[in-house]
This record gives sequence, structure tokens and C-alpha cells, in this order.
Amino acid sequence: MSKRATSMDETMNREAVKGNKIMGIVAALAGWVVPGLGHLVLRRWSKAAVYFLCVGGLACAGLAMRGGVFSAGAQDLFDRLGFFADLGAGAFYFLAHQIQTAGPDVAHATGDYGTRLFAAAGMLNFLTVLEAFDIGRGGEAR
Amino acid sequence: MNALFGNLTHFGALLFFALVVSLTFAFLSKRGVADRVKYTLWAFLAFLLVAIGIGWLMYPFSQ
Repeated sequence: MSKRATSMDETMNREAVKGNKIMGIVAALAGWVVPGLGHLVLRRWSKAAVYFLCVGGLACAGLAMRGGVFSAGAQDLFDRLGFFADLGAGAFYFLAHQIQTAGPDVAHATGDYGTRLFAAAGMLNFLTVLEAFDIGRGGEAR
Repeated sequence: MNALFGNLTHFGALLFFALVVSLTFAFLSKRGVADRVKYTLWAFLAFLLVAIGIGWLMYPFSQ
């Protein structure tokens, strides 16, 4: 019953939002700026809510644990990779200094875990962005 | 938020990470509630098992 209801919802969603390349790009950009927003644009309500809560939760946890956020002017490769991963969190990356008022503290283990959680949030959001692009262009995403 | 996550232990952070990532992977890869719940549980337990397993494997090198 639930499987049938889910597939009916998704059929209705596909009818409601016609897929094309522009829609894919818009959904991907929206999903990058605010995690889950791309799926919201595509009327995938449950996915939008889960992605926002999961990516946002990971990012906020990372910042609350006083994890470090990599900046654009990084010198070595590891820091550049960290910047790329962090950038995936979209608005959470740009608002990191407002959310984390105490600043990073990676001298302690908790801060180091926070750095990893924030980077993981960014990478996770990149996956949701790819899915939003795929659904938006009319692909067969689940 | 700081009170909730500020004093999280390594294991607590692992549990939180495993749960959130499993849930996201389930929504990315599965369709239907039952499949998603099954996948979330499976991935969550796999994360824990692998992390604890690697922890035990590294234990002798910490001495």
C-alpha cells in the first residue's frame, strides 16, 4: 500500500514538473545554495525535508563542535580539497562565521571531528545536488 | 545547539554521522518507505561495524 502510494506521488510529481535541462540546472543551483531546495522546486517534498535536515544537521553539528572551515585562499592540496568539500554545504558555508560565533578550535579532538562533519555535510549535499539535476532534466532518479 | 553537540564524544559523533549519512543514502538510492527503512538500518549498522572493526585493528599501534 505504502509502495503504491509512494509511486503514485512520484507519478504526480513527474506530471507536475516537466523535466528539461534548464530545470535541472535551476534545481541543482537551488539545491546547492540551500540543501533540499532543489528537490522542493521539483516538488519532492519528503526528499527536500530529509536532505535539509540531514545536511543542515551535519553542518550545524560540525560548527557547534567548533570545527574548522577551509577558506578559498588555501595553499596546500589538502586544504584546497577541504575548501571544495566545505563549499558543498552552500548557505551553511557562507553563514559559518555567523553560526559559529566562538570560532574554530581544532586543537581539541572535538573541533577536529567538527571539521570532518562539516566537510561530510558538503560532500553529502553535492550528491543531493546531482540527484536534483538528474530529476530536473527528466532523468530516472529514484 | 552548542549544548547538544559541543560535548559530543568521538563515539557520539560517529553515531550521529552514521545515522544522518545512512538516512540520506537511503533517500538517494531507494524508493518506498520499507526499502528506505531497511537500507538505513543496514547502512547504519555497517558504518558502526566497520568503524569499530578498524578501531580494534588499529589498537595495537596505539600502544
